Amino acid sequence: MRTSRGTTLALRSVALVYLVGLLAVPIGVILWRTFEPGVGAFVASVQTPAAISALNLSLLIVAIVVPLNVLFGVVTAIALARWKVPFRGVVQAVVDLPFAVSPIVVGVSLIMLWGVTGWFGGLESATGVKVIFGLPGMVIATIFVTLPFVVREVEPVLHEIGTEQEQAASTLGASGWQTFWRITVPAIRWGLTYGVVLTVARALGEFGAVIMVSSGFPGVSQTLTLLVHSRYIDDHNTYGAYAAATLLMGLALVTLLGMTLLDRKRSTR
Amino acid sequence: MISVTDARKTYGDFVALDGVSIDIPSGSLTALLGPSGSGKSTLLRSIAGLEGLDGGVVSIAGVDVTHQPPQKRGIGFVFQHYAAFKHMTVRDNVAFGLTIRKRPKAEVRKKVDDLLEIVGLDGFQHRYPSQLSGGQRQRMALARALAVDPQVLLLDEPFGALDAKVRADLRRWLRRLHDEVHVTTVLVTHDQEEALDVADRIAVLNQGRIEQVGDPVSLYEKPANDFVMSFLGSVARLGGQLVRPHDIVLERDRAAAFEADARTPGSPGVVTATVERVVRLGFEVRVELRADSGERFAAQVTRAEADRQQFGPGETVHARATRPADATEVDPALAI
Repeated sequence: MRTSRGTTLALRSVALVYLVGLLAVPIGVILWRTFEPGVGAFVASVQTPAAISALNLSLLIVAIVVPLNVLFGVVTAIALARWKVPFRGVVQAVVDLPFAVSPIVVGVSLIMLWGVTGWFGGLESATGVKVIFGLPGMVIATIFVTLPFVVREVEPVLHEIGTEQEQAASTLGASGWQTFWRITVPAIRWGLTYGVVLTVARALGEFGAVIMVSSGFPGVSQTLTLLVHSRYIDDHNTYGAYAAATLLMGLALVTLLGMTLLDRKRSTR
Repeated sequence: MISVTDARKTYGDFVALDGVSIDIPSGSLTALLGPSGSGKSTLLRSIAGLEGLDGGVVSIAGVDVTHQPPQKRGIGFVFQHYAAFKHMTVRDNVAFGLTIRKRPKAEVRKKVDDLLEIVGLDGFQHRYPSQLSGGQRQRMALARALAVDPQVLLLDEPFGALDAKVRADLRRWLRRLHDEVHVTTVLVTHDQEEALDVADRIAVLNQGRIEQVGDPVSLYEKPANDFVMSFLGSVARLGGQLVRPHDIVLERDRAAAFEADARTPGSPGVVTATVERVVRLGFEVRVELRADSGERFAAQVTRAEADRQQFGPGETVHARATRPADATEVDPALAI
């Protein structure tokens, strides 16, 4: 389709205004506010015990959620792409559910299930393991919201590579496991990497579901997003909120950068 | 020897194999030839163990492998679309089966280099499949299949994805390779020219059944039925019978045609026809005709004959077959 010069210019301006106004300006303002009093103030603000604890908790949740989602995601993707799954459509819809359901709804439903008066509430009184208002609750909430990413990135790759390479490996004497590790995993690794990056980014940034199931004590059960929230709303510590937000953005940026670098490595091959 | 007995396989309502039995002698190069949906690929894949049978027995070298997985059948398999391991170099692709078997590194290296030399890919060890042409990829796939010293080599339309020139080169090359290596080879193809060119035995399949098995000459000369005749080589319908276009003689002189035909017992008779078109194909000439009954057919005559008689469109000629139409004559030794 050919577009006139005027249309092109107009479309570009709209896109630019949209990007700048809605993305660049807010991020820029936070960065500016954070570093306005100097780098020292930022470092001090993110080195308080509460901030360090929040950073550690966020990273801990990522460290637990990512391996679980990789395992679940790869198995589910293989099942959907390769096996005869009954009610495939239903399974697909369930996998996509977290995209559709608001995180806060997830939080509420987790409380209803795992809270002291919930269906599985007996677990807490029986074993003393605190699910709601404890780490397990935050992990479950994060798993829920990040569940589709690995499946959705890996499944199309499995369809694309087809089954011939796997069959060729089996005619050459490779067992099922050998075929999986030597043929399937290398073939899906880029899809898997992308799924992991998205999972990390989402796990770091998750707020709505986590705030419902966390006790929210500074230095104990606050993730970085909860720290930003509590500093701003509860403590009226605007600067602290900016600094924590910048830290959160920094982590996301590192993840994104890592992905871009991997992407470039992939395209040069 | 590969022996398949009463193999049956259905996909839903579709019958892919309808009681197929065939013996493939050791050291032969057998082509499974048939149109798409004839069951030829299913038969090959069930010999490989990539497809399970609903009924029947597959044995390789006297061992019943019907319920063995592909890993344990001692086979090499080559796919139409190469099935190259894209993330591995040519060397690692060819070495795959040996690496799985945990052979010593030095032995693997030597064997891979030897094989790559045989298939003409020496010096390509460190390339990736994406850096090879289709023909090169398929030769790599062949080397990979041969690396594990298979008892049988199974090829599923191996040249189907290649262009005509490369295809012709590769099948001549495969024939030479087979003459050197002598591994029992089964090749699936829908291309009769390919089957006639490389195979020393051909099995013609149709609708999940084997129509005829034999060497290329006897299949061409003595087809068991009309299907085999029309699938192997071109045919013309003359006086209600199928004959080869090159067995048709055209005469301008009606009396001469009848006189010559009288000396050919069992011939379909003389058919009077109008020339519609004369196509010169290098050393031979195809004459397209329309019989008085309205039926169209083509005769293939030599260039010299065409020059002598000077056929032109619109002219009337008298067609006869030089050989009795034995298309439906069944030789019990060849029929299944």
